Amino acid sequence: MPEAKELQYADIHRDVVRSIVETGPKYYITLGTAIFVTLLCFFFPWFYQLYYGIGAAGLNHPQVWGTYLASFIFWIGLSHSGTLLSCVLHLTNSSWRKAMYRSAEAMTLFSLVVAFTFVMVHLGRPWFIHWSLPYPNQMEMWPNFRSPLLFDVMAITTYLTGSAIFIYMGSIPDFAAVRDRTIGWRNTMYTLLSLGWRGTDREWHRLHWAYTFLAVLIIPLAVSVHSIVSWDFALSIVPALHQTIFAPYFVVGAIYSGTAGIVTVMFILRKYMDFGQYITKVHFDNLGKLLLVLSLIWTYINMVELFTGWYSGASTEHEALQYKLFGYYAPLYWEMILFCAVAPLLCISKRFRTSFVPMLILSIAVNIGMYTERFLIVGTSLSRQYLPDAWGLYVPSLVELSIILGSFALFSTFFLIFVKIFPSVSMYEVKETMSTPKTEPEAPPEGNPA
Amino acid sequence: MTNFAAGIFHGPESALAAAGTLKGAGYTTPELMSPVPIEGVEEVLGEKKSVIKTFTLMGGILGGTFGFLLAAGTAVLYLHPTGGRPIITIPPFLIITYEMTILFGILFTVLGFFISARLPVIRERVYLPESAVDKFVVTVACADDEHFKRAEAILRDAGAEQVREVTEEA
Amino acid sequence: MSILDRIADGWRKYRKPGYYDEFDYHWGMTVDLDRCTGCEACVTACQSENNLPIVGEKAFAEGREVKWIRIERYWEGEFPDVKLRFIPMLCQHCDSAPCETVCPVSATYHNQDGLNTQVYNRCIGTRSCAVYCPYEVRYFNFYDHHWDSPLDQQLNPDVTVREKGVMEKCTFCIQRIRQAKDVAKDDGRRRVRDGEVQPACVQTCPTQALVFGDRKDPESQVSKLMNNPRTYRVLDELNTDSSVVYLKKVEDDHA
Repeated sequence: MPEAKELQYADIHRDVVRSIVETGPKYYITLGTAIFVTLLCFFFPWFYQLYYGIGAAGLNHPQVWGTYLASFIFWIGLSHSGTLLSCVLHLTNSSWRKAMYRSAEAMTLFSLVVAFTFVMVHLGRPWFIHWSLPYPNQMEMWPNFRSPLLFDVMAITTYLTGSAIFIYMGSIPDFAAVRDRTIGWRNTMYTLLSLGWRGTDREWHRLHWAYTFLAVLIIPLAVSVHSIVSWDFALSIVPALHQTIFAPYFVVGAIYSGTAGIVTVMFILRKYMDFGQYITKVHFDNLGKLLLVLSLIWTYINMVELFTGWYSGASTEHEALQYKLFGYYAPLYWEMILFCAVAPLLCISKRFRTSFVPMLILSIAVNIGMYTERFLIVGTSLSRQYLPDAWGLYVPSLVELSIILGSFALFSTFFLIFVKIFPSVSMYEVKETMSTPKTEPEAPPEGNPA
Repeated sequence: MTNFAAGIFHGPESALAAAGTLKGAGYTTPELMSPVPIEGVEEVLGEKKSVIKTFTLMGGILGGTFGFLLAAGTAVLYLHPTGGRPIITIPPFLIITYEMTILFGILFTVLGFFISARLPVIRERVYLPESAVDKFVVTVACADDEHFKRAEAILRDAGAEQVREVTEEA
Repeated sequence: MSILDRIADGWRKYRKPGYYDEFDYHWGMTVDLDRCTGCEACVTACQSENNLPIVGEKAFAEGREVKWIRIERYWEGEFPDVKLRFIPMLCQHCDSAPCETVCPVSATYHNQDGLNTQVYNRCIGTRSCAVYCPYEVRYFNFYDHHWDSPLDQQLNPDVTVREKGVMEKCTFCIQRIRQAKDVAKDDGRRRVRDGEVQPACVQTCPTQALVFGDRKDPESQVSKLMNNPRTYRVLDELNTDSSVVYLKKVEDDHA
């Protein structure tokens, strides 16, 4: 097919299948590096910590949570845009979703897995983590369903199940399409994954409804997940954590950092997977607008949080506030304000939104800022609690920093494997956005793709 | 063993028209295979109803009941007074109920999808790989050669590029 | 009784927040700050009674010491007109304990004696209870601790040695309470007598600033002290309903 023509169905098919089956040395080098870094920076320090005890981290009394919990919230937060955004855009029929949602959903899934590993890293005795699951056992013990942490267990299990099912359901037709183009072990794998999908009118109809119902169920689920994560903090009576605004604050923060994460992933997919024709300026433009709105809401909630703390007049609240704004961790606080509240204002300009590299830099800056935010929530609040005798400082240790770095490598490993198994651009939905082939083959379609 | 006539079309409109004609000519309801969902299938081949929404609803109700009973029941099975709260504490248990409602809703939706879409299948069925790329295929079951010829004519009239005879093992 | 009645009965029973009324004992402690000299004898006694690890200088500097009871020191005023104040701080065994509700595996709960207990074997080390505790009296085992010989000879056989990754805190010397109850049972008594059981800190206190006893017994020393007009609870505004009551220091304004 001549290159000058509009994108045809077959082109998409060819491009996506190519992205799966054609693997260059660059990919293997990247994957190898990612796995190596994961082992070296994530698993090695973690095993050391398992052997040595949590003391390998910089934690102390009263700072018993530290970066592990901050990383946990960060990764849960990063998971909050993919599936949620995809569901919202599916229900509102936004066609610009279609080229990017698959990888965004994968981001959700893998962020959740990484967040789960942080729970394991965080626990003092992770080998007993199954005790937090409700299953009949010889001890006749059940978990404590009154605990906010158990809400977490239930919510994250549900969310992981839900988003895994959602991404899988959406991929069934694409698995079937790839199945016909592959041979060998890939063919076997896709035959199994596609469950015998044929693309009949009946199947499409059922898929549409099932997918819509799932989307309807997942939106309230995603909102509840991050609210529940916020309740790990807000249901305590620690000054500056015991805040009613925490649930919406966390949900907005999560969607915010997740959207920034999507921008980063889109940039990388576009650049290294040759999806330039599918992931376009339109996507960056829309995501930029979303980032702008979210940053404004986020800033607003931050101000409300400060205001209510100040207005309460309670000495503990004032101390916590004072410490947050001007204490030991204050430089981090102002860095967060710069990255998350000020920098995204650049998105007002359309020229900024549609330029790829500046958007990439912004998205990374936002996520650095959001990581800082999570760190500060844990860090500043725990160092200034009620009894001044128990005030304390905390600086992360090398083990913690290495595990944070390693978690990004772990995420990249998952993602790199994902792009070779899942069609990372949804073929059938991109096809839907294009004009259908005309009855006469010689008349090229006039419509504009996407 | 069933024989099928499969017409391969270039666009959805002609395929849909062919399917409509076949249905009008007294054939069993033809099946459309397409790379994308086709709009307007229901007007031609009749309205579709699926059991998925019933499944979702039942799953939600079941999950909600299960969630509350799980939380309240296990709390009663092994009494662990904590924090001066009553053994059955409503607000925290409602959160468990909420999560379980959604979990079961999702799982039952998937179950409903599998049952109503008749997936997964192990046996080979009529399938043309072209339909996953950019072709629209109409298949219809034909009892004998005469039926097949008539179907072929209808398909060709509607603008099929190609008509094939496909056999499906029973 | 029909099944419905039984469910309704159970519902009423388990929906009652005053579940604690049925407790056998309600152990409590009073701390008389007028008597406390800040000598830290209680800290040492607790250390040896409860097999608290000696963490060493490095871990202490890192803030990882384990002290089930600690003496908080607060300075008031500017030099040279300064006052030093002590508050012994130990687990307050709150009746509405924030730490209990947060534990996902019920490793900490209220037992039938009104004690806030910590089950080491059940603990998975989420450390959330330490965050939720406003008194900061929960201590985490950041390492496996070991006792150099011959220190290991002095370990109390009645108390577990905790492994790494487990939270621990003051138990009101539950092993001694247990023993006193056994003795009372052997003697054919229904209840433990007042003063029969004392935690290590109370036993050691040279000025008898700490008093321990059953709050359910109106004649016990601790119950009487709790009616003293000097009583207050630390962070009472948080409604933790703690079992440790402090007696305010009597001060002469001209001192």
